[in-house]
Amino acid sequence: MSEDPFAERLKRLEDRIERARASRADPPSRAAAKFTQSSLAWRMVTELVAGMLLGLGVGWGLDSLFGTLPVFLVLFVLLGFAAGVRVMMRTAAEVRMGKAEGALMRGPSGAKKTGPSRPGER
Amino acid sequence: MAGEYVEGEFNIHPMDQFQVIPLFGGTEVNWYTPTNATLWMGLTVVVVSLLMVAGPRGRALVPSRAQSAAEVTYGFVRKMVEDIAGKEGMKYFPYIFTLFLFILFANLLALIPYSFSPTAHIAVTAVLALAVFITVTAIGFIKHGLGFFKLFWVSSAPTVALRIVLAVIEVISYFVRPLSHSIRLAGNLMAGHAVLKVFAGFAGALGVGAVVPIIAITAIFGLELLVACIQAYVFAILTVVYLNDALHPGH
Repeated sequence: MSEDPFAERLKRLEDRIERARASRADPPSRAAAKFTQSSLAWRMVTELVAGMLLGLGVGWGLDSLFGTLPVFLVLFVLLGFAAGVRVMMRTAAEVRMGKAEGALMRGPSGAKKTGPSRPGER
Repeated sequence: MAGEYVEGEFNIHPMDQFQVIPLFGGTEVNWYTPTNATLWMGLTVVVVSLLMVAGPRGRALVPSRAQSAAEVTYGFVRKMVEDIAGKEGMKYFPYIFTLFLFILFANLLALIPYSFSPTAHIAVTAVLALAVFITVTAIGFIKHGLGFFKLFWVSSAPTVALRIVLAVIEVISYFVRPLSHSIRLAGNLMAGHAVLKVFAGFAGALGVGAVVPIIAITAIFGLELLVACIQAYVFAILTVVYLNDALHPGH
């Protein structure tokens, strides 16, 4: 009846193989995903703290240079904090786009869950 | 600082393992003194060379075990660089691959009992991170000249005053990156190894009950294996991300 029964059977077989493969692909282990998340969290914390410390250092240095102790210290701690938040937000954006370390959280079959992400937000 | 062994007490000295000790006696460490850090970094280089040079020597169509290990590692890092930095970034692939392999094997060799972990020292990781920082900055300036400063200039901000404040923040955040880059690697490694030592100390003091800490050590060791690989990967991937920023500045 069908013009090429052989090709059709081949196609059906391919479909079956594809389905079987999809069902076999083991999901990324829960523990590993959790661990990656915690490592990401640590990364963000370090970035935040490093920003503040850097601001503290710069402010302190400028103050001891000019002899105006609290002025630059306060200013640069705030700026350093902002910088830390900035780097942290960039990291978060990377995770959301599944780039860089965030790529660790994707399974082999492309983007899956990347934590509580809200795609509408920049 | 070195803890002495005292009978019947807790002998927990988790930080002793990080001491840099001259290999051939003496206590003074000069810049030319061969120390345990020298030894283990040298061993790292040897192991990497063995895997990457001696491993794929056969160039067999059906690869041997060593060859496929080398090929898989190569392909893995290559794909990562290509995905993030594109074709343009492939020029710097050898550097990134070297960094990745060095850190990976330094981390892995550090897991051998009685070994020394060079990557747990901020001095080592800071040099690695600084090398990345200087390279990336240099590439940025060579590629874009003064246009590289656009990385710090948020031209979408409404007023000039705001742009200046944002520029200062951007500059600081640019310098945060090598700092967090190095702290994270050293911190992760040091914390992991210290925890292992603390649990080992419990085991020594508990007698028969030592089974519990020993099981815990086994679990933590597995976790540390994961940490070793992930931290090497993260260091390499962040290098690529920074490199990509330098190749394409602007927001």
